[in-house]
Amino acid sequence: MTKRSRASAEWVTFGASLAVLGAIVAVIIALWVRGEDPAQVAVHQDGVRTASNGTYLVDASVTNEGDVTAANVQVMATLTIGDATEEAEQVVDFVAGGEEEALVFVFQDDPAEGELELVVASFADP
Amino acid sequence: MPRATTSDWSQEVDDLARGLGGGMLFGIPLVYTMEVWWLGGTTRAPHMLAALLVTFVPIALLIHTAGFRRDEDTRPSDALMDAVEAVALGVVAAGLLLLVLGEIGPGTPLAETTGKLVYEGVPFAIGVAVARHILGGSRTADDDGSSTARTPGQATLADLGATLVGAVFVAFNIAPTDEIPMLASSATFPSLLSVVVLSVAASYVIVFVAGFGDQPSRRGQEGLFQHPMTETVSAYLVALLSAAAMLWFFQRIEGPVLSAATFTQVLLLGLPAAVGGAAGRLAV
Repeated sequence: MTKRSRASAEWVTFGASLAVLGAIVAVIIALWVRGEDPAQVAVHQDGVRTASNGTYLVDASVTNEGDVTAANVQVMATLTIGDATEEAEQVVDFVAGGEEEALVFVFQDDPAEGELELVVASFADP
Repeated sequence: MPRATTSDWSQEVDDLARGLGGGMLFGIPLVYTMEVWWLGGTTRAPHMLAALLVTFVPIALLIHTAGFRRDEDTRPSDALMDAVEAVALGVVAAGLLLLVLGEIGPGTPLAETTGKLVYEGVPFAIGVAVARHILGGSRTADDDGSSTARTPGQATLADLGATLVGAVFVAFNIAPTDEIPMLASSATFPSLLSVVVLSVAASYVIVFVAGFGDQPSRRGQEGLFQHPMTETVSAYLVALLSAAAMLWFFQRIEGPVLSAATFTQVLLLGLPAAVGGAAGRLAV
């Protein structure tokens, strides 16, 4: 079999490919050198809406200010009105470093009439 | 260095298209696997680098024995250079698909995007590396190289059958999984439109660009699928119908059949079905 010679079109493709791979490797090395902060997960309340069926929808967002991904993030919402408490809970599979996930909690009573507390109860380091 | 001629570029585009077709065929099932998305999101930088470097070796070996170019790589240096191209092509193609499916975007953290590009790009690169073997078929020639005379009706039936077989072969494994409703729940109209465009483009590229030198005979084939565009669009419709049938078979269609939610799922499963259908037509 005769050896084929590379046409210059192939050299152009090779150059572009090398640039793509080089960029990926450079980003990975930069991420490595920068180091990783442990996951820092927090939850914020964004607002309250009323659903058509009369329930109250609390919009919240869970963020990870660290670099390491947090897994199985358990977010608890507790609404206290007088002596009565109403609880809602959600588990988010993964929140990557720097990522924000939107959540909605559903309550039967108006959160404006009592005190609403949102906390991150637990998460795992995958 | 000699100047690139038009035929050089034309062959280079054919080679890259063939690589892209092989990559899609091999890589798409993993793009529709949420565990791989998670892996991309949770993997740390040293492991990503190791994964990329380690997989480079089998990809270079596959390129040496199969490859995606019309001409075989006989020199190790050519195989290594093509391996670089295969990995880059894999990363770019996987990135495009992840973008269209909404798995990466402007809001995705850099580490997560990079991890997903590495873990989804590697299977694509393996597909690129074996593209010449899996897409090397010529559907007009028999094993002995002679063409069989078919009536237009037979040719259409053969194409329809091949599209169905290919679509089922690739999409059947994806149809019952949770990824389809998951992707559907976050799909937007622009992203769905991109999925349609990508499905049709991939199908066209695999059949009419990636093959080996029999494009004129393929374009001249008789049957209802005569013109390349007619064939591509008809085959896409067959792929969509087969996607709907597969979703129905696995009872994934909930609620009204003629709803936006069902339509979205059919379009999302239509992408692997269209890619499989195109590869199926090459095999007939």
